[in-house]
Amino acid sequence: MRTSTQAALLCAAAALLPAALHAQSAPASAQGDVALTIYNNDLALVQDTRTMTLPKGRSRQEFPDVSANIRPETVTLSAGGAGIVEQNFDYDLLTPDKLMDKAVGQTVTLVRTNPATGAETRESATILANNGGTIVRVGDRIEVLGGYGARVVFPSLPAGLRARPTLSVTLDADAGGARPVTLNYLSRGFGWSADYVALFDDAAGKIDVQGWITLNNSSGTAFPDAKVLLVAGAVGQESPNNGYQSARPRMIGRPSGNSPGTETANRETLGDFYLYPIAGRTTVANAQQKQVSFLDVAGAPASKGYYFRNDWLGSRDEAASVDSVLRFSSSRSGGLGDALPAGTVRVYMRDARGSPQFIGENRIGHTPMGSSLALKTGEAFDVKVQPTVQKRERIMSDEWERTARYRISVDGKPPREVTIDNTKEFWRTTMTYKVTNAKATPVTVEVVQAGLDTWWGDNRVPSESLKGTQRSADERTWQVPVPANGETTLTVQFDTRY
Amino acid sequence: MRRFLALLALLAAPAWGQTVVVSPAPDSTAVTVYRAPERSSDTAMNLGWLQGYALITEKRTVSIPKGRATVRFEGVAAGLFPESAIISGLPAGVREKNMDADLLSPATLYARGFGRPVLLRRLHPKSGKERLERAVIRSGPDGSAILQTADGFEAINCSGLSESIAYPGVPADLSAKPTLSVETDSPVAAKVTLSLSYLAWGFDWQANYVLRMHEDGRKADLDAWVTLASSDSTSYPEAEAALVAGKVNREADDGARPQPTGDSLTFRCFIGPPMQVGMAIPAPPPAPMMMEAADMMVTAMRANSPMKMKAAVVVQQEALGDLKLYRVPMPTTVAANAQKQVMLAQKRGVTVTPFVQVDVYDAYVQGDAALMLRTRNRKEEGLGLPLPGGPITVFEPRGENAVLIGEGGVPDKAVGEDLDLRIGTATQLALEANETALNDKTRAVTLTASNARAQPVRLEVRIAHGSESQLLTPSAKLKRKDGRDVWAVTVPANARATLRYTLRRPS
Repeated sequence: MRTSTQAALLCAAAALLPAALHAQSAPASAQGDVALTIYNNDLALVQDTRTMTLPKGRSRQEFPDVSANIRPETVTLSAGGAGIVEQNFDYDLLTPDKLMDKAVGQTVTLVRTNPATGAETRESATILANNGGTIVRVGDRIEVLGGYGARVVFPSLPAGLRARPTLSVTLDADAGGARPVTLNYLSRGFGWSADYVALFDDAAGKIDVQGWITLNNSSGTAFPDAKVLLVAGAVGQESPNNGYQSARPRMIGRPSGNSPGTETANRETLGDFYLYPIAGRTTVANAQQKQVSFLDVAGAPASKGYYFRNDWLGSRDEAASVDSVLRFSSSRSGGLGDALPAGTVRVYMRDARGSPQFIGENRIGHTPMGSSLALKTGEAFDVKVQPTVQKRERIMSDEWERTARYRISVDGKPPREVTIDNTKEFWRTTMTYKVTNAKATPVTVEVVQAGLDTWWGDNRVPSESLKGTQRSADERTWQVPVPANGETTLTVQFDTRY
Repeated sequence: MRRFLALLALLAAPAWGQTVVVSPAPDSTAVTVYRAPERSSDTAMNLGWLQGYALITEKRTVSIPKGRATVRFEGVAAGLFPESAIISGLPAGVREKNMDADLLSPATLYARGFGRPVLLRRLHPKSGKERLERAVIRSGPDGSAILQTADGFEAINCSGLSESIAYPGVPADLSAKPTLSVETDSPVAAKVTLSLSYLAWGFDWQANYVLRMHEDGRKADLDAWVTLASSDSTSYPEAEAALVAGKVNREADDGARPQPTGDSLTFRCFIGPPMQVGMAIPAPPPAPMMMEAADMMVTAMRANSPMKMKAAVVVQQEALGDLKLYRVPMPTTVAANAQKQVMLAQKRGVTVTPFVQVDVYDAYVQGDAALMLRTRNRKEEGLGLPLPGGPITVFEPRGENAVLIGEGGVPDKAVGEDLDLRIGTATQLALEANETALNDKTRAVTLTASNARAQPVRLEVRIAHGSESQLLTPSAKLKRKDGRDVWAVTVPANARATLRYTLRRPS
C-alpha cells in the first residue's frame, strides 16, 4: 500500500512537473549569448542575444534572468521581423499576502488536519474578503480563517505577480518561428579597477610589475560564459566626487617626478578609452570579485627617493620621517610600456630570506603610456627631517617702490607728474631643516617648503645653503644630500610680505 | 526516512561544471604583521577591533589536473583582501582569480531553487507523522515561500503543521564562506607546491617598553617587548612570524568589493505574525569580531612585571627597504583571537637624565612642568637600535619592590636620535613668571623656579616669544635649541633659581 502511494505520488509529480524536471537536468539560466561591457563607475552594458520562438502576430515575451540591477529605462530590443508594441518592467512581487488578496472571490481548497489522528479533510471554500483577516464561505457557513487551522491551496497564481522583477516585451511578429532576439540594457552593480603587484629590487634598481583587472559583480545576477570587455574610463555625467576633485590625483603636494605621458599604448581604443577584452568566455558570478591578468613586465627600471614637505613656515618639536617614494615610468623605452588603468599599486620587497614582504601601496589614476610616476609607499624609519624656525624678524627694505604714478594737467601749463612712494616691508624668516640619515648608505632627500604664496606679492630667498628651485609660487624645493649615518642642515632665509 | 533519502537521491544531480581541486589547508605559513596605520605610539591596541593588517604567505601542495580546472583555497584568513592575493608556482599560470561571496544560506538556497523541484516535508505536531510531497518553488525569497504542489499553490507554514523544504542538492556556486579560487589551464597533470600570499585585516602589533631606573637615578635597564594580536578566526600553527615597523602607506578601502550574500528565509503567511524558520546562519563577516577571552600567551614573562628575569628569545631585526622587519626566530603559532608577546630587546645600564621641562611664551608659563627622561639612541648611551613606537612604563626601585613612577609614549626613533620622553607631571617643582613694564616698548621678565624636593632638580625652560619682540640681556647664558632659547639650570634642593630677561619690541 505504501509503495503504491509513493508510486502514485511520483506519477502525479511527474505529470505536474515536466518543465521542472527538464530544468533540473539543465539548470541553466535563460540568458543567451551574453556580452558584458563593464565601466569603472558602477555601470555595465549587457547585450544578451537569445533565440526565441515567436508566434505570428502580437505576443508577450518575458525575459527572465536579466540583471537584478537593470536600469529598465535603458532597455532596447532588436528582433528580426518583429516590432515592439510595448515594454514592461514588472516588480509586483508574489507574496502570500498578495496571493490571498488577489484570490478574493475565488474558490480555494481548505485542507484540515485532524490534530489527533492526522487525517486530512478537504473542503472547497470561497474567499469573501481579506481585510485584517480572511473571511471564507464554506458551504453555507461563513468562517474567519485563522489560527493556522487549515492549509489553503490555491488553484492558480494570480497573473501580474512575479517571483522577481521581470522584463516583458510585447512583440508583433511578421511571421512565426525562431529567431535571435538581442536585448541591450545598462545595469548597476558592476565595476572594475586595476591592481598592480610591484616587486621592487632596490639594489638592481628594477621592478617586476603584474597588472590585474579586478572586476566586481554585485548586480544580484550571475552571467555564465559571457564575453567580457572592460572599458578604462567612467562614462556618463556622474562624477564620483561631485566634481570638486578630478579623478586624477593632484600634482600639488606630491613628490616631483609625476608627469603625464604622450605615448599611445598598443591596445584597442574606443575614443578616449582603452579597452581590455578578457580572452575567451568567463563566468561572472554574483557577489564575485574576479581578477584577470593584463600586464606582466619584468625588470623595468625603478628608483627609490625621499620626499619631505613642510606645509608652512613652521617648526616641528620632533623630527618627522620622510616619505619613501618609488619612481618608475610607463613609457615604452625604459618603463612598463603600457597605459595603466586606475587602481592600486602594491609594492613588495624581498626580505633577508628572499620572501617578498609588503612595503606599502598607493593609488594611481588612469595613467597614459609614457608617464612618469613617483608614488609614496610609506615613510622611512631612518631618514628624518626636523624643520625649525630659527628667527623671524621684520625688515625694512631700503628699496622704495614706486607704486602709484599719475599726471596732473592744468590748462595752459605742461602736465606735472606725481609719484607716491611706499616703503616695502618684509618678514625675514630663517629656517633650518636638519636632515638625518641613520642608514648605512648616503641618501638624497627632496625637501619642499610650501605655503610661500600668500597673495601679497613676491617672495625672495636672499640666502640658502644649497641651491633651491622655485617649483611654483607656493613651493620651493632642494635636493639635500645626506651622508651615511650622518646629517645635513639646510638653512634658508625667506623674505615674505606677510 | 529511507524513502526521504531515496527521493532526494532521485532529485539530486551533481552540477560540477569542471574539475574542482580543493586545497584544504596550507603546508606552512608566514605571517607578517603591520601596525594599525592611524594608531599613535602611546595608544594601546584595541583587542576588540584590531585595525592593523598582515601579509600572509602560504605554501600549499596541490595536484593540478590536465586542462581547465578550478583550485579552491580553504582555510585562508577571514579578513582576506582578495584584490591583494598573489599566486605563484602554477605550471600554466593563473587564468583568473575569483573571490566568491555568494554564500550558502536559507535565502540563497531558496532563490536558486526557483522553478525547480524540491520536497515539501510536513510533520504532524502530535503524531509526529511525516509526509513528503513533491513541489516546485514559485516565489522569490523576499516575499517568502510559495510552492506549487500536486493540489495547487500554497504558502508554506501557514497551516499549523511544521513544514520545511528539502532541496535535492547544493548549487555548485554557493559556498559556506567567501572562497578564493583560481582557474588554471595546465598542459599536463602535475603535483605542484604553490605560494599564495595576501593581505588580511584584523591583526596588529605594538612595542612596549619597560624602563627600570637604577638606584643612582642615572642608569636604567630597558626591556622592550613586541605584542602581536590577531582577531581573525583562522589560526596559523607553527608559522614564521614577523613584524614590520615604520609607516606603510595604505589606501582607504573604496568598499567596491561585493558584500557576501546570505540571509535567513522568513516564511511569512497571510495570517498571523511572521514565523522565523530555517537554520540560523552566522552574521556575515565584515563587522570586526569580538575577542573571545583573549588567549594570552606569554613567551617569557609579562611585560609590565618589574621582576628581573632573563628573557629566552629576542626577535631579530633586519632592514626591509626603508622599514624595519622583526622576525620571531622560531616557528610560532599565531592563534585566532589571541595575542602573544616576544622580547624585542634587553638593554642594561642605559644612560638616562631625568629633568623637568617647562615652556614659556613671552612672559607666560605654558602648561604644567613635565617630568622628562632624556637619552640618546646610541651605543654610547647603551642603546643604538631602531626603536619602534610604543608605550613606555618607568619603574623606580623601592627596597625589594619597584614602583611605577611614569608612563609615556616612544615615537619611532632611528639610531642616533635624541629621546626626550615625557613621563608625567612634576608636582614639587614650580615655575612662576612675573613681568613689569619698563616703558611702552620694553618689559622685564623674571622666571622663578622653586624646588620643594630634598634633591637638586635639573630644569630646562624653553622660551619662545613673538616675532615682533627680541629677547635681550638674560641674566644667565641661554642655549639655543630647535629655534628656541633654553634656560638649563640645576635648582638646588629646597631652593629657588631665577632668570631675568627683557623683551623689547622694535620701534
